[in-house]
This record gives sequence, C-alpha cells and structure tokens, in this order.
Amino acid sequence: MIGSSCRTGPISSVEQKGGDHHTATLTKALRIHRTHGNRLLAIATAEARLQGRRGPRLLQPYFDLWKSFGKEALAPEGTGPFFLLAPVVSFACFLTVPLLIPVLTSYALPLGYMGDILGGGFILALASFLVAVAAAETGGVYAQLGSSRSKTFAAITEPVVLLVVFTVALVTTTDLPYVLGATIRSGPDQIVRPAHLLASAALFMVILFETGRIPVETHTGTVEFGMIEEARPFEHSGPYYALLRWGSAAKQLVLYTILLNVFIAPWGLASTTALDQVAWAAVSLLAKAVLVGVAVAVIDTSFAKLRLFKITEFVAASFLLAVLAVFTLLLGGG
Amino acid sequence: MSAALGMLAVAAPQPPTVFEGVANTVAVIVLLVEFLMLRTALLRAQIRLYAVQSLAVSVLAVVIAAGRGIPELYVLAGMSLALKVIIVPLVVLHLLRETGTEIAGSGALGVASEVIVSILVAGFGIFTVGALGLQSDVLPTTALSLAVAVVLVAFVLMIVRRDVVSQAVGFFSLENGVSMASLVVAAGLPLILEVAFLFDLLVAVVVFGVLIRLHHRQTRSLSTDTLTRLRG
Repeated sequence: MIGSSCRTGPISSVEQKGGDHHTATLTKALRIHRTHGNRLLAIATAEARLQGRRGPRLLQPYFDLWKSFGKEALAPEGTGPFFLLAPVVSFACFLTVPLLIPVLTSYALPLGYMGDILGGGFILALASFLVAVAAAETGGVYAQLGSSRSKTFAAITEPVVLLVVFTVALVTTTDLPYVLGATIRSGPDQIVRPAHLLASAALFMVILFETGRIPVETHTGTVEFGMIEEARPFEHSGPYYALLRWGSAAKQLVLYTILLNVFIAPWGLASTTALDQVAWAAVSLLAKAVLVGVAVAVIDTSFAKLRLFKITEFVAASFLLAVLAVFTLLLGGG
Repeated sequence: MSAALGMLAVAAPQPPTVFEGVANTVAVIVLLVEFLMLRTALLRAQIRLYAVQSLAVSVLAVVIAAGRGIPELYVLAGMSLALKVIIVPLVVLHLLRETGTEIAGSGALGVASEVIVSILVAGFGIFTVGALGLQSDVLPTTALSLAVAVVLVAFVLMIVRRDVVSQAVGFFSLENGVSMASLVVAAGLPLILEVAFLFDLLVAVVVFGVLIRLHHRQTRSLSTDTLTRLRG
C-alpha cells in the first residue's frame, strides 16, 4: 500500500501546477518527489562521463525504485516498530521540509512561517535519527556501524549548521529562509559580503557530508568499511528499502534547494501564483540543481575519499568557514 | 507578502558596500590560505600556497587602488606580485630541490586541533583589534583585524611545525599579514617606505636560505627536532 501511494506521486504531480497557494504547496511537495530522481541520475551520468564511461540511463534510479517496490518486504527477527516505521516517517519528514523553504516561490506559502531554518533542521535531524534507530535495532553489524558513525559525525557537523544559522540571523535579523533569499536578491552588496560567501561555502561542505559525497564517503561501491549513510538501510528490503533510498534522494534535493534558493542563487523563483511563473521556477530549479550536481560530480571525481579519522579535518575546515562568517559579522565588516 | 519581506530585509543592519565587501572577502581569503598552510603536508604545496596568498594580497592592493583612487598602490601591487608571487617562491623551491626533502614532518598537534587552536588565537586577535576602535578612511577595520589574525595564525604555524621550510614559509606569510595591515592603516604611505618593507622580506629570504642550507648540511634533514640536543 505504501508502495502504491508513493508511486502515484510522480505521476499526479504533472497535473498539479498551482493556481492558488494550496496547489502551489502541493506542487512543491510533489515536485520534490519528482525531480530528485532526475538530479540524482544527472550526477551519476555526469560522473560516468568524467570517468570516460557512458553511465546509467537518466531514469535508472526510478527503475531501481520500481523494482524494489515490487519486492517482498522482510524484517530481521526481534526488530520493533521503529524498524518498519522509520522509512515511512523519515520520508514524510523529507517531504515536510519543502513547505518551509522557498522551492518554487519567492513568497512564503500559507504554512511557510510555521518553522524557520532551525525548524527545518530539526525535522531533517528527526528523520536521520529515526533511520539510525531503525538501523541500530536490526542487530546487523554494518547497519549499526553506519548508524553509530553517522551520529558521531553528525554531532560535529551540528555546530557548523548552527553557526550558519547564526550568520543568517545576524544578516537578516530573522532566521526565516525566505527573508535571506529576499536579502540576497536585494543587491550585489549582499552577495560579495564575506559572511554570505563563507556561510554558503560552509553549508556546501556540510551538504557534501550529509549526502555522503566523496571527501567523506563513497556513495557507490560495496566497501562497507568506508560507509556511513549508505550502510544504514542494509537490513531493510523491498518497499521499505525503496522508501529509504527515495528518501535519501529527496533529502539531497531538499538540501540542494536550501543551498540554491536561500544562499547561492535565489533567482528564477515565482513571485506570483501565475501558472507560467511557477512552471518556469520548476524548470530553473531543476537546471540549477543539475549545475550543483555537476559540480558535485567534478568534486567526486577529482578528490580522494578521506580516511575515516580525517573526516574531522574536513568538518574542522567547514567549522572554520562558519566561525569566520560570524566573526566578520560581529566586527561589522561582514 | 513580498512587501512584508522587504520591510524585514530593510530592518536588518546595513550591509557593507560592494567595495568593502570585496576588500573584506579578499582579506578573508588571505586568512583562509593561512589556515590551509596548517594542513598541507608537502613542502612544495606549502610554498605554492604562499604564492597564492601573496597573490591575494596583491589583488587587495589593486582593489584598494581602484576603489579609492590611489595610483601608487598599482606600483606596489606589481612589485609585490613580481617579488612575492614569483621570485621568493622560486628561490625557496630551488633551495628545496637542493635538499631533496618533500614531506614536512608532522606537526606537534593533529590538524583538527591545530585548526581549533588557530581559530581561538585568530578570534583573540580579531576581537582585540576590533576593541581598539581604530578608524581608517581607506578600508573597513575588519581587514585590519583579519590581518592581525593572519599574523597570529602564522605564529601558530611556525610554533607547531618542526621543519625549517614550514617555519620560513610561516615567517613569509606573517609578512603578508603585516603588509595587509599596512594597506589598511596607511594605504597612502609613501611608496618608498612600502618598497623598503618589501626589501625587508628579501633579507628574511636570504637569512632563511642560509639557515635551510646550513641546517641541512649539518643534520641531513630539515627537521628542527635535532636542535633541542644543542642544550648545554
């Protein structure tokens, strides 16, 4: 049942181009379903091209999901309710965050002010916590290894995210993502200020970490020793596994959207509810996300994976950027 | 809704102007390169980073020259480009080639802890200078604070590294911090004085060159660890 209800997501989203706010909200949520795949595979394809291969078909992740949804779901003996709930609830969390951030529109949606950047961060943290608990419940060695590692490193990336939020708060005197987007659109002086550049760079590094990209983790391959995020769904199967995979892809697009529409490139958003504007915003979001994806693929190809104990250096670097952003702001020159 | 957003944006503190933003960003890049030096393990990469940092300082001079209309700074930028981006790195690389050493010995601390210590030291420098309330009509004083932070982090680099080349590069980059500070405090300084500062750097290069050669000839390594045995 879960499988079928999710499968309708991408199909029904085609018709849902918003006339009023509510459809816009719906579109936004559905858009996330729909586009994550495109972007994910765009990365895989770009990466393969960089490595001189042809790469998978653009829709390959969808075929994989479809296959997983058709399979039998099994649970290890002795697992509790968390194991089965986690994929569903975490997926719901990833679909809630787009309501809080500017995805297609530059104005806030009806529920857009119910949570700020921190609120969105809490929801993402809840999702990742649930997946980690579910993985820890299984008793499987690699799933537990992944969940313990992901929580260990999440504890050291958390201060970076907090400092980025402080930067936003100091720049805009609020921590609503819509206001930061509007501030950055307001003129070139807001773009070249060091606090903004540093915070964006720190956020990008955190996103590389959160989405399991190369300096931190290889997302392909089967070497369990280096796995963090990838190891957690090992014990899930069938539709549950598909939901976890789909959820992590949706999370990636959510994070890219925050980076793009709040920090780096908040242009091309719809400022009214007109259909053509919203459609154009959807196209431009896709294009921007593909650009980020290509950048990530270049990083993936040109850097080596860090050893596990060197990840702290990577996080220390992003921490440095975020701290400097706050420093320069407090000095009045940021 | 968008009007409300606009009002919120206006309520925020005034952002720096584009000129100030660019100047501060370049100053921040100088500081970040200083932090990168803490991480690099290859001596060659460290010297390359020094060249990048000097390039950033020259760019800062050009930015100030263009933004504030001080034509002498173009000359200064050109000279520091020739000297610090090209000549000094080439000389040090040449010395390095003679010694045949490529990898700097590990520092006294791990990289992550070095960065944390340096953040603390840099924060101390930044806020101490910020508290002095110096005013400059050329640049925002943020750049001055950042310059002092560069000097302090260069000190940390020289303290935690145990090889002569890293210490030399630390000293040269310290000079970069000082020349950045002089850009902020006294951008209108007569050109002849600025040039005198640059020649100070040349003296330092000669001294460190002699030190690197002598040390390598006596101990067959660049590590300064053996120097502790000199205690009487």
